[in-house]
Amino acid sequence: MPVRFVMSGGEQELARDLGFLEAYTIGLGTMIGAGIFVLPSIAAEQAGPASMLAFLGGGLVSLLAALSLSELATGMPKAGGSYYYVNRALGPLFGSIVGWGMWAGLTFASAFYMIGFGQYLLPGLGGYVPLLTGWGETGITVVALSMAALLTGVNYYGVKETGALQNVIVLSLVALIVAFLGLGLLSGPTIGEFNPQGWPAVAATVGTVYVSFIGFEVIATSAEEIENPSRNLPLAMFAAVVTPTLMYVGVMFVSTGILSVEALAASRIPVADVATAFLGPVGALLMIVGAVLATVSSANASILSAARVNFAMGRDGVLIEWLNDVHTQFRTPYRSITATGILTLVLIAVGVGIGTLAEVASFMYLVTYALVHVAVIVMRRASPREYDPAFRIPDPLFPIAPILGVLACLAILVRMRWTVQAIGLVIVVAGIAWYLSYARSRSPSGSLVGEAIAPRPAMMANGEGIEGEPYRVIVPVANPNTERDLIRMAAASAHANDGPAEIVAVNVIEVPQQTSLAQDLAFEEERVERQRELLDAARDVAADLDVGLRTRAIAGRNVGTAILDVIEEESADQVLLGWKGFRSRREHVLGSTIDPVVGRAGCDTTLATFGSREDQEPEDVVVLAGEGPHAPVATRRATEHADAANGDVSLTMFNVQEPVEGDDGSAPEETPAERGAAAIDDLAETAGLAPGDYERRVAVAGNVESTILDVVDEYDAVYVGATGTGSVSQAVFGSLPERIGETADGTVVMARGPDESPVSIREAVVRRLES
Amino acid sequence: MTSDPFARVVIPIASVDDARKTARAVGHRIAGAKGTGIFVSVVEKAGGAPDKASVEQREQWAEEAFEVVRNEIDDSVAIETAIHYGTDVAATIVRTAHQYDANAIAFTPRGGSRWVKLLTGDVTNSLVATSDLPVVVLPDTETDGCPSDSS
Repeated sequence: MPVRFVMSGGEQELARDLGFLEAYTIGLGTMIGAGIFVLPSIAAEQAGPASMLAFLGGGLVSLLAALSLSELATGMPKAGGSYYYVNRALGPLFGSIVGWGMWAGLTFASAFYMIGFGQYLLPGLGGYVPLLTGWGETGITVVALSMAALLTGVNYYGVKETGALQNVIVLSLVALIVAFLGLGLLSGPTIGEFNPQGWPAVAATVGTVYVSFIGFEVIATSAEEIENPSRNLPLAMFAAVVTPTLMYVGVMFVSTGILSVEALAASRIPVADVATAFLGPVGALLMIVGAVLATVSSANASILSAARVNFAMGRDGVLIEWLNDVHTQFRTPYRSITATGILTLVLIAVGVGIGTLAEVASFMYLVTYALVHVAVIVMRRASPREYDPAFRIPDPLFPIAPILGVLACLAILVRMRWTVQAIGLVIVVAGIAWYLSYARSRSPSGSLVGEAIAPRPAMMANGEGIEGEPYRVIVPVANPNTERDLIRMAAASAHANDGPAEIVAVNVIEVPQQTSLAQDLAFEEERVERQRELLDAARDVAADLDVGLRTRAIAGRNVGTAILDVIEEESADQVLLGWKGFRSRREHVLGSTIDPVVGRAGCDTTLATFGSREDQEPEDVVVLAGEGPHAPVATRRATEHADAANGDVSLTMFNVQEPVEGDDGSAPEETPAERGAAAIDDLAETAGLAPGDYERRVAVAGNVESTILDVVDEYDAVYVGATGTGSVSQAVFGSLPERIGETADGTVVMARGPDESPVSIREAVVRRLES
Repeated sequence: MTSDPFARVVIPIASVDDARKTARAVGHRIAGAKGTGIFVSVVEKAGGAPDKASVEQREQWAEEAFEVVRNEIDDSVAIETAIHYGTDVAATIVRTAHQYDANAIAFTPRGGSRWVKLLTGDVTNSLVATSDLPVVVLPDTETDGCPSDSS
């Protein structure tokens, strides 16, 4: 069957394909895991029937975490989840602690899930399949090891899993548990002594069972892929916490009501054993199948989440990049997956006991969430301008909820067993040691804690006063030779707009990712000096031209990103960049600096090259009046610049038409020349030009490109609109403008309107606020 | 309108190695047709199941592959690059080719054993089977002219 082409507007570029339901099932898929199938026996042993309150407590702690995570995830939708937020807010020391903590937590959890899988498969299914009986502890370990290895392989080789399969698994699990709850309640469970071990034991049990609540974090790590995140993300997170919490509490109630605490504690397959009591062997078998599915799906999600934490750590220089290599054939982060797999295998083989595995995973996540709560408070206090979450913790709850969250996490942590605390602290100390020995010199020390403690005077809140905003042109300056021309062009655009206008000259000192800040200090002085000179010169030019200009000196990891940030922060109307007009083998035209800006700027984007005519005003200007979507923007730029010139400027609109082929029989309704003239008039009207303002020129030629290249040579300045829509400058501007830039020796200006495809959630949010 | 497939051709790129191999095989052909090569990298989405790698990581990876393409192909040849997203890689490539009004889709076969393809999805096969545009299989120039059976 041929694939039919369906025009889908701009949706093609969307990476976001998760609606509320998908996000919810992803969260649920990791939540309804081994926890509910394995933990009832351990929990009942520790706290009796009151352990159902431990699950409730775990749910409440998770709800608080979900609040903070929702705000942070919509404010910083980046791969890595909690790790990323903490690293950004509290700096790389805490970033290392949380990064390593989450990785350890996820591997301990995977090992826990896998042993749970082994228990349900061997002693559980052994009751039905004689082959599986009598293998004992060794058997369970071997099965757990094999399954962990298999899952690692599945993710290493990128074996396709589909959303449909995931949904079927999750829905079957929900159906199974709902059936278990319904029929269990009908069979009349009777609770014995409710709280035999006392409240401290219940609190400690929260720590044990918390592992079954770490799954909803997955929703935060997928923030960049969720549609309409301001609504769907918090909603999916809350639903993914509340649903399982109710189920856990219910399952605990039914389990402790039907079996005695002693019987539960002795069971390896508690949910199946409980089901036997009121559903018979068939019900128990269903529960075993459910447990097998649940443990596998949870472990799978954990291994993949671990790879994302690794990726985010590598990106920030907190972890060696080597680990994040993507496999050329399978397109998976295979080294990271292998490392997680090996650690999981080691943990299973060491045999620390299923309870300890669960508790260490819980411990690491409680530490993580405690820091996440701190991070949200720090982000709010420091309020960096780019932090503008679509979801904010509602006012009456802030800062009470995050503070309560920290206290709750700490309260559970101190109640946990000392062996667990010891293992957890070793991992935390390892994170600190790693920071001191590796990450400190490589990762930018970007903590915002200082800002949080002493915030700068509040800047104008985003989204306010947009109406009265001046027309703002951002001009990144790097080359003293073209600086003057660029600022003059920017001034022309500024003057052409009624009302206040302003130019912002920006220079970015790039500190490469590979270089440590310490290493870079040697060069720092020289580069800062150069930056200062450039910006001083910009101010002089602006004074000459009598136009308002601000300067911004920035040091950043990436020039392109830094400029994009400035564009967003300043709510810019136009960004004007200079380029060399040619590309060499090593240095691509629009190299890595310009590419992201051109591809993603949410405002008019203008690229200008001045050829050999530096610092001269053009007299003959030509606009390529093609049919591209951005031709009107190019026309507008040409008009603005022509109007601002001192002398007389002639403006020509040029259109090329292909000759009409004679073999189609019918006489054409209009000649190519007429068609071209009509196209020019249409375009001029769209751009707001009066009929007398321009000359028309139409060429009829077979080879459009070479005709344009010839004609363009007759003029001092060429204006051309972007033709493509891709995210990289070459795709945006198409190959023709670039060819012109290479050959023409006059001024070449390429222009395009704001990028219409929602590239990132952050930009979408900014735009929404602006509208 | 010319019918040369390389006048406007979409070239899917799977990895950095693949990018190098493909760019070498396709560069002079596009130049010969005075055409435009549109290099496309598809970020595969699982559509509900967790993805194997984060989108950001794979976007970064695609840019690296494009970088290789730009270095391999002579500066005089017109090329464009674009990242697209889809749950079905082959269908996304075909849709993209239509979007760019391409004459054809060209690629180098990726190799890999039958088992691996069965498990990870055989893009080559579904591309050939489902495309309603001409599909050009490029020879692997690194092994060009020395067939394996003669060695």
